[in-house]
Amino acid sequence: MPLPRSHITVDNLSIGWGSRVLIEHVTFHVERGTIFTILGGSGCGKSSLLRYLIGLEQPGAGRIDIDGVGEPHRYEGMPPFGVLFQSGALFSSMTLAENLALPLITWTPIRGAIARELVQAKLDLVGLGPFAEHLPGEISGGMKKRAGIARALMLEPDLLFFDEPSAGLDPISAVELDQLVLTLSRDLGITIVIVTHELASIFLVADHCIVLDKAAKGIVAQGDPRKLRESSEIPFVHNFFTRSSPAASANQGG
Amino acid sequence: MSLAVRVDREGDRAIIIPTGPFDLAHATAAAQTVEGTEARLSGCASVDVDLAQLDRIDGAGAVLLARLLDRLDACGRHTCVVEGHNPEAARLIALYRERRADRPAPQTHSTSRLARIGALAAQLPGKANEALDFSGRCAAAVPKATASPNSVDWHSLPRLMQEIGADALPVTSAANLLVGIIIGFLGVSQLGRFGAVAYVPELVVVAHFRELGPLVTAIVVAGRSGAGLASEIATMKVSEEIDALRSMGLEPIRWLVVPRCLALALTVPLLTWVGDVLALVGGLGATALITHITTRAYIQATVNAITGEHFLAGFVKSPFLGLVIGLVACGQGLLARGGAAAVGTRTTTAVVLAIFSVIVISSLFTFFFALIGI
Repeated sequence: MPLPRSHITVDNLSIGWGSRVLIEHVTFHVERGTIFTILGGSGCGKSSLLRYLIGLEQPGAGRIDIDGVGEPHRYEGMPPFGVLFQSGALFSSMTLAENLALPLITWTPIRGAIARELVQAKLDLVGLGPFAEHLPGEISGGMKKRAGIARALMLEPDLLFFDEPSAGLDPISAVELDQLVLTLSRDLGITIVIVTHELASIFLVADHCIVLDKAAKGIVAQGDPRKLRESSEIPFVHNFFTRSSPAASANQGG
Repeated sequence: MSLAVRVDREGDRAIIIPTGPFDLAHATAAAQTVEGTEARLSGCASVDVDLAQLDRIDGAGAVLLARLLDRLDACGRHTCVVEGHNPEAARLIALYRERRADRPAPQTHSTSRLARIGALAAQLPGKANEALDFSGRCAAAVPKATASPNSVDWHSLPRLMQEIGADALPVTSAANLLVGIIIGFLGVSQLGRFGAVAYVPELVVVAHFRELGPLVTAIVVAGRSGAGLASEIATMKVSEEIDALRSMGLEPIRWLVVPRCLALALTVPLLTWVGDVLALVGGLGATALITHITTRAYIQATVNAITGEHFLAGFVKSPFLGLVIGLVACGQGLLARGGAAAVGTRTTTAVVLAIFSVIVISSLFTFFFALIGI
């Protein structure tokens, strides 16, 4: 039976903290095997939206449905998706190899030499093969993120969530990370959802994007980011993609 | 379809055909099957892999097949994945083969017990040097702090005294009260054998004022406030707050360590005094409960027993005990490197070292007082 095209369906979702509403009545879907980016300025609720998508928060209104998972906050058992947190979120008391082995040991009966082989293969995949016995404190920020990706891949998920993968990285590390994201999507066929505001990375990797706006409390544009950059007439989206400030565009216009 | 690897051989040429699910859920079985396959390929010069029969493959399965091909290649065999059949699986295997890194040879660690003891012993001079260096820098910080009072965070002193002193009062008081009761009971049971119950008040005064009061209070403060200070400073160190202080031209020892040590040196004697009083009450309670000594007679005997010497013997040492707790806790905190694990390790070391140092210093004082006859 062929898998449905839509991997994640978000229907009429509203999120917020206490009485503060961040996003209201948002509806979108993520197609299987694509790289989907959630964009927006600081404080627009994109990282909060990610917390709902990975099931850390329960939606007050609306519904999130992940194919094969159902509602993520109700899901119990082996996580069917991997998450890369902003800082990598590696456990500092464990070596990289131990960090990667943790999900494997928790959720599968695989042990010993086979587990070591699988862990090493994932470290090799992200270019950290020689660092298996290093502690997270001994490696750089970019390497921590790559190790975070390797850990997120340990359970062979078909869906990955990345929170600001290239934030705080030098341009070369950021491009390497983007290449890795493309490899994961094309060669492993993984659906990838990325929260970011790094334009270079968006244009390089994203198949589809949604743009959130704080003032509109929802999606102001969606589609191929390259096309949005060329043709969007919404001032916020135009400014976002062309890195111009509202004041500058007002001056140009007037 | 069940998991298996079929091997078709034609002379020195073989085709291996993996069938069934090669995925994470079947990784253990797949690894065993792959291992068995390797044994069946002896004598083959060329090995082809046909992936057409694969039911399912993911990264875990691809790794196992990729490593099989790597090993066959390493033995000088020609390996090849049959083109056109199942291109996704072929791409996945190729990805794991091309991304294999050359690993440095694992370092051989000498793990014999004797070698470990030797390695630990070899670290001792370095650690002693670190401790002396830190003490020296703290000592040097005092005149500098006096010369430029702005380089010390004096505003935090009341808060620190509250946290280290007032907040610790219930627990140090309870500990001292109980120790007073214990000395009382012990005195009654032991001195009572010689009919010397009347000396119990003096025993409580001498034992508690001179030795146990400062010691018990300092041990409780080391466990409670020492751990708090060490973890606070270690967290500041790993989150680069200490570096931020340095970058702003503030010396962490003056800004952080001096007020903390001062707060401890001021509050530990106060806590000890309160503890001494409660220990006397504890001793009185225990004695009054199991003997016929009246409360009035006990108090009279206690007042007679309290001399300036006993009081001073305890009073002189308690600021030093507070100081050493502060130095050990802050010093360990500043040595933290790495992440959350380092904070935990340094906090544990700080508490153990602080308690040990408190006992050592207390004994040194006792030794010194015995020498000069106080």
